Amino acid sequence: MTTVSEILGINYIVIAPTLALLLTVIVLLFCTITISTPMYVKKYVSFVGILLTLFTIFLKFGLFLTDGVSSYFTEKILLDEFALVGNVIIGMVLLFTFNSFWKTSEMIENKTTEALILVLMSASGFLLMVDAENFIMLFIGLEIGSISLYALAGLNRGDQLSNEASLKYFLLGSLASCIFVYGIALIYVSLSIIGVYEISFAISIIGPENVPLTTFVGLILIIVGLLFKVAAAPFQAWAPDVYQGSPTGYVGYMATVAKAASFIVLARLVAVSLTFIIDQFDLFFSAVVIMSVLAGALFAANQSDLKRLIAYSGVIQSGFILSGISSGVYGISASTFYLITYIIQLVGIFTVFSIISGQLSSDFQISNISGLFKENKFITITFSIFMLGLAGLPLTSGFVSKFILITNLWSYERYILVTVLMLTTVAGFYFYLRPIWVAAVEKTENVVEKIQVKNSDKLLLGIMAALTIYFGLLPNSLVNITRWMVEGYL
Amino acid sequence: MTSIMFSLLIVPLVSALLIFIIPNARKEIFRPIGIAFSIITLTQCVYLLFGDYAKTEFTILSTFEWIQSYGLNLSFGLSGMSTLLLLLSSLLVFVSLLSIGKDHAESKGFVGSLLMLHFAINGVFISGDLISLFIFFEALLIPMYFLMGIWGGENRRYATIKFILYTVFGSVFIFIGTVYTAVISYGVNGRLAVDFETLSSLSLLGSQSRSLFLLFTFGFLIKVPIFPLHTWLPDAHVEAPTAGSIMLAGILLKVGAYGVLRVSIPFFTEGFLAYKNLIAVLSVIGIIYGAIVAIAQIDIKKLIAYSSVSHMGFVMLGISAGGFLSIEGAIIQMINHGITAGALFMLVGFIYERRHTRNISDFGGVKITMPRYAAIFLFTSFASIGLPGLNGFVGEFMILMGSYNSYKVLTSFAAFGVVLAAIYMLWAYQRMFTGPIKYEENESLSDLNSRETASIAPLVLLMLFIGIYPNYIESFVIQEASFLSDTIAMFRDLK
Repeated sequence: MTTVSEILGINYIVIAPTLALLLTVIVLLFCTITISTPMYVKKYVSFVGILLTLFTIFLKFGLFLTDGVSSYFTEKILLDEFALVGNVIIGMVLLFTFNSFWKTSEMIENKTTEALILVLMSASGFLLMVDAENFIMLFIGLEIGSISLYALAGLNRGDQLSNEASLKYFLLGSLASCIFVYGIALIYVSLSIIGVYEISFAISIIGPENVPLTTFVGLILIIVGLLFKVAAAPFQAWAPDVYQGSPTGYVGYMATVAKAASFIVLARLVAVSLTFIIDQFDLFFSAVVIMSVLAGALFAANQSDLKRLIAYSGVIQSGFILSGISSGVYGISASTFYLITYIIQLVGIFTVFSIISGQLSSDFQISNISGLFKENKFITITFSIFMLGLAGLPLTSGFVSKFILITNLWSYERYILVTVLMLTTVAGFYFYLRPIWVAAVEKTENVVEKIQVKNSDKLLLGIMAALTIYFGLLPNSLVNITRWMVEGYL
Repeated sequence: MTSIMFSLLIVPLVSALLIFIIPNARKEIFRPIGIAFSIITLTQCVYLLFGDYAKTEFTILSTFEWIQSYGLNLSFGLSGMSTLLLLLSSLLVFVSLLSIGKDHAESKGFVGSLLMLHFAINGVFISGDLISLFIFFEALLIPMYFLMGIWGGENRRYATIKFILYTVFGSVFIFIGTVYTAVISYGVNGRLAVDFETLSSLSLLGSQSRSLFLLFTFGFLIKVPIFPLHTWLPDAHVEAPTAGSIMLAGILLKVGAYGVLRVSIPFFTEGFLAYKNLIAVLSVIGIIYGAIVAIAQIDIKKLIAYSSVSHMGFVMLGISAGGFLSIEGAIIQMINHGITAGALFMLVGFIYERRHTRNISDFGGVKITMPRYAAIFLFTSFASIGLPGLNGFVGEFMILMGSYNSYKVLTSFAAFGVVLAAIYMLWAYQRMFTGPIKYEENESLSDLNSRETASIAPLVLLMLFIGIYPNYIESFVIQEASFLSDTIAMFRDLK
């Protein structure tokens, strides 16, 4: 006897993280519009919501152990290794950035709940996105996530830069969404399918050499839509302005979560849908990688605003991560390792920024940290560790991630890519060491005064710095996790 | 032996962390702590001299699993050359901690960075695989960056960034070489094993050997530095604080030559045979060029910096000649140059602390006010020139004698480097120390105090000891040099 729900594949555990976030949001909304709730209740509600989400992600692992790779809700939601890793990354990002987005939301008067709801909704959207098997589902998730982020960027209404960031993000982001939807439409027109797995079935049936041109164009457009979200060149133009203008406390969350989700989806697309025709996308991906690292390095070299510098460095790092995604299954695992270590450093860096310049501030000049070391030793040391990690210095996780990535590229004989990436690394030392110089080395008169750092911030920075060093010295565990993710797709 | 080897890593690291923890209120104990810990390291190195691996070629003593799924291991080991260089680095850290002035000795960051530098240097010399070699090779940069950047001279920003970018540019080539070797090793062994034992069993030939040799050697030669790539060195030396200069000239330059001897020659011998003439020509140009430029210098620190280019040219000439005697001479010259250049930079530091100038023309007749200082300076200059009976002679003589068979013309030119060395060192000595006192500031200079004398004394004694009894130091490198020259000879016959 098969019930209707079994035929439809209804399983609430698979979407439990999204549901948990949704529940939290509803409780928050209820608290706000009915009874006046004190701040700390909102704080605990949202924190418990995040913990609940993490717990439900844990439950999904149990489901995966019994069911294996499986799809639910009439092949709309997929449970596979990519989804699980994506869920864990997004959950962890939520947990680790909670401290800074809570404080930012607290400072925005009368809009605290709205801000929290936006953050949690965007997380639920991106969770849906990494779980999606169906392109329509993917698009819905992407939009739920992105639209919340557009609003988050402009939440500080009094700030001109914040408004500018929001508008720019919204206009360019919707353009990217249009391109994405058009890509889905083209694929549906040419093959009458909209599933991630269906594409590879279809291609294997009609043969890789008979794939119609419209499918190619459609796939390219879908990939472009995702590349926009990860700020890879030539689709990077929004990133510096959005990073600069958005309230500092939110940027750490905004930058990491969209990147993580889009990369996981891209990785699955490459590993599953394009397995038979991935060679045809070689040139495209190589061009994007080379453009990203070159454009990022060129623009990062002369930024006086640190948030813009980190944005352009993000463009470079996207190039690095993409180079792995487009080169074999082990490349994807190396990229995921890179992504996770990069996220750790990025969250740390934006925590430092928001401690120094306040949660709501928009631009963050390099002169803001001159002489930081004198009174604020702990912040400077952790900040230096993150910057050195971005530069890829040995003893930090940045080195290990670059090493396994480049080794993989070399074994695929992509010598040009390796050369360009390594040259960018050299250039990187120039602009990653400059903030350290200003903060710790240069002698200056106007020193940053002693900043009172809360224990929660200290703990967070300590954990992030320790993880950066830990994955640099003993990367084995994380490498094994990322290898496990791709083992089924060999 | 293994535990001693690891304690050479752990002791400097722990001492550095200890210094960072001690509050600034107790700043007077930074130097004693640093010295105490460096004496521990020094004793351990002396113990290694009498150990089982002090006279052997490189032996891997310990291996750790690093990334299991890639089959990457970190290996550590010892050899005769490593033992000597470890001893040299411990000695130089000890004497530079003793020699630095009060400002630096009471600064937490300075002493801590110096000990971190010691940690990274020791790591380079005990690395038994390419990954850990690269990790420590790059890790050297960070303490050096802070030493030069915070406590450097006027133009330190330019010099520091130049130093960092040059070295990182070089290490990118080493990095790519490591990756390339790992991929080749994967094809043979099924795992990315790059420890030195696996590499020697790979026995690479042909174009692989040649391109890998180029990749590694280019990175190492920037660090040496060889002639067209040397321009970072004078800037770095002039701007670095005294202790930084001592470590830079004494040890950091040797890391490059060490890399060539440890990695490039034994594993990529065919590449070495293909390009050794080029390296020899560049070294001889470096010898002559460095010496001539040194003659023209008005800044005594820059003069010694260019003399380092010249002396390291001798090392590279000896290595590229590839005979037993010349390689042995090159290793001994590495140690000797570390001692003499370290001593010279320390001496310059002493007088800079008193007069706050390094221009040769600002001195004159200093011998009258500082007789002890002048005597030690003259002695060290003689050692640097290569006067028979002192250490400089031993290495340079062996190199010249050993290279003559392979490169008759080049070696003849290189021999002029010794004459030019006499010109620039003695002329500088004459202008600074002899004659009447020209400026009245020089009349009130105080001679070396007992701390300063104590810090230079070990180096002076070593110059004399190696000069009259070179047999002792030679006994540590015989096996390694003969292994290297045998490898080269074998490949030459193969051709």
